[in-house]
Amino acid sequence: MKSRTAMKSRNTTRMTLAPVALAVAAALALSACGGSAEQGADAAASGTLAANWGGFPESWAPGAEMEAGYMRVPYENLVGLNTQGEITPVLATAWKQTDAALTLTLREGVVFHDGTPFDAEAVKVNLESIRDGNTPYAGPLKVISSIDVVDATTVKLNLRQPTPSLLTTLSTRAVPIASPKAIADKSVAQHPVGTGPWAYDPASSTAGTRMTFKYFDKYWDGRDSVGFDAVELYAIPDDNAAAGALISGEIDVTDTEVPNLDQLKATAGIKTLSYPAIRNNPMFFDRGPGGVFADVRVRQAACYALDTAALQKLEPDWVPRTQHFAEGESGYNAAIAGYPTDLAKAKQLMSEAGNPKVSAEVVAAPFNQKQLQVYAAQLKEIGIAVKVQVAPPPQYFSTWNSGRFPLGLGGNDELTPFDWYQAWFAADAPGNPAGVESAELKAAADKAIAAGTSPEAEGLWGDVTRIISEEALTCGHVAGEELIAWHSDRVDGVAAPTQPWETNLIDYKALRPKGA
Amino acid sequence: MRNLIAYRLAMALPQLAIVSLLVFSLTYLVPGSPAAVILGVRATPQAIADVEARLGLDAPALERLGSWFANAVQGDLGVSYASNLPVVQVIAERMPATLSLILGGIVVAMLLGVSVGILAALRPGTTDRLVSGATSVGLAVPEFWFGLVLSLVFAVKLGWVPVVAYTPFTVDPFAWFQGLILPAISLGIGAGALIARQTRAAMMESLASPYIDTLTAAGVSRRRIVLRYALKNAMVPVLASTGLTLRILIGSSFVVEQIFAFPGVGHLLLTSVIGKDFPVIQGGVLVMALLVIGVNLLLDVSYGLLNPKVRPQ
Repeated sequence: MKSRTAMKSRNTTRMTLAPVALAVAAALALSACGGSAEQGADAAASGTLAANWGGFPESWAPGAEMEAGYMRVPYENLVGLNTQGEITPVLATAWKQTDAALTLTLREGVVFHDGTPFDAEAVKVNLESIRDGNTPYAGPLKVISSIDVVDATTVKLNLRQPTPSLLTTLSTRAVPIASPKAIADKSVAQHPVGTGPWAYDPASSTAGTRMTFKYFDKYWDGRDSVGFDAVELYAIPDDNAAAGALISGEIDVTDTEVPNLDQLKATAGIKTLSYPAIRNNPMFFDRGPGGVFADVRVRQAACYALDTAALQKLEPDWVPRTQHFAEGESGYNAAIAGYPTDLAKAKQLMSEAGNPKVSAEVVAAPFNQKQLQVYAAQLKEIGIAVKVQVAPPPQYFSTWNSGRFPLGLGGNDELTPFDWYQAWFAADAPGNPAGVESAELKAAADKAIAAGTSPEAEGLWGDVTRIISEEALTCGHVAGEELIAWHSDRVDGVAAPTQPWETNLIDYKALRPKGA
Repeated sequence: MRNLIAYRLAMALPQLAIVSLLVFSLTYLVPGSPAAVILGVRATPQAIADVEARLGLDAPALERLGSWFANAVQGDLGVSYASNLPVVQVIAERMPATLSLILGGIVVAMLLGVSVGILAALRPGTTDRLVSGATSVGLAVPEFWFGLVLSLVFAVKLGWVPVVAYTPFTVDPFAWFQGLILPAISLGIGAGALIARQTRAAMMESLASPYIDTLTAAGVSRRRIVLRYALKNAMVPVLASTGLTLRILIGSSFVVEQIFAFPGVGHLLLTSVIGKDFPVIQGGVLVMALLVIGVNLLLDVSYGLLNPKVRPQ
């Protein structure tokens, strides 16, 4: 028999726990009424595609850093680029390039989502705002000295120097075309206004969580060119949460990471694909006179010591390659064999170089720390001591190629050999802090640049990339695979994007609701 | 009480000034230029210098600090490098999500902590030991782990609540509450464990006081003794620890925001740090410091109401 004191104590306990019990009960009751997964599941069927790419752009202004998966919903480019490296028409239907200018013929009957007509003046405003603004993509457009509006549908870009890669640049996320009115009043930073099939609808959106884009009735390519009535874009920063949202049916498509694959593949209806999206390779920055890597034999020895296949065992989404450009791309040279791992050859080259004492410090960010540590261990085998210093991403990004470190590892996102050469290997390239360039490389590059867009330019750029490889200015090329997961029972037509080397992207226009 | 509020407000000003100075100094000392981040890896030194000049980053540190202070006191925290929007607007858009999360976390922490603390104090022995063990776990396990597990079970497996949690209160109060359940529980468990321990200790002390025996002898009901007398006295130290808990909650909310895709100030600050968006970092930290100081002021007032002895004379 329980005492009265104990009974009283129990009653008081019940009472003190009442608020918790009430809260839990309320939460459960509300949860039972919820239907997020069902809502998500119905969305695709009713013509709304829900996609997540991790984080909304800080700004939607042309030239701002935007993940392609976000940018390519409201925006279109002047031209596109297919996987064969061919330029395809989008807002520009024809083009003529000379060493002095690029003339574009624009598509007629195109209007921006705010009703502003798309014309040559709009192109001028966009290109100038990117070139002259504080944007990460200003650099590639600095080659445009002036822009002439010839007539409403013709615009002429006058060039400071022959720039065979300009059309390629115009196809990338560097140059989306936005309403000149939205650029002028600066509203474009938060409210994207493009010419794409889906227009931003702030009223249906939740700031910071979900951006809704609805089919634009005046879209130039017509309703049949797309499958979905609307696209909802999400910004789920955590990979586990994104995988959870896909499994629960809140979203239809997301980028994902290798650790989430097993969980996703175990869920009925979820499929995944991967495509090469990022290229990275070590760069020997300190290659000037007296530099740690001034001797080509030391650089070659380091290249032979690297084993990118071993890296792939640790990081399965990094695929080894022999050179920067893929087969079919301009700059690819079948004769480049790269530097297959050969420790004996590496040691022999070091011996020929007089076995110099080589030690270098290199900066890593948390996301490439493991890769650099693997490389450092491999280089140690031939007596090259590499100390990996880990820094937060901001410090990494602003210092890794600044010349402070003799060696660096980072992304090389250039799509053409012209851009690649100009970015890293020309004597005045921002990525060549030593400022040195061999006479042979300069001569070959000058010849290729002079060839402009002529058919022989292709082979000449192949020579340039061959020399870069032979001089071992860089090596250890790997391509990072982008992983995309989607609900195959809700969405059809998911495939790797036609626009090459862009992360977090699918070809939106090819997607169709399942069964449509 | 007016004296207390005036005193605390007067103390807040130098606190804010010191916080601002520290944040400004830190951003100034961080190596690398924001212009280099804005312009990307292909930027030339000349282009970086041009952008630095345009952003006023080439001015002497003291001049920049003075200018920032002068503008801040007028409510102008500058313009974000990344979005070109006023920092006040950028932060104001994110504040509701952060405040919702912190509010939810505090409610969960208080409900859980006070209830469990009272339970442990009232039932020494097995229950007390169980509660002590549970609070140890609550303190030891990080919020993100709770968040991931709760999300996996209740959002992914059971589908009771959404994974993408946040809906503004003004848009849909029901969805706001529904989306807040898991993040608030994740955030509140650790703080709740801390409050539970504090409550348990304070309640045990209160219940052991001679006046409790007097009240019991006078025939006052156990329920009334616990809730009306013992708890009121126990709440004084509990409230004091809640101020500390709040600071922990604000820090932890940045992690929980990531897991539940909450578009709050924490996520904003994280991306701003990566992008070296100094105006947003400075503004965001200042606003969060204001929040902490404001809540501490409220706690001090509550403390003063509960315990007249702490009111300044």
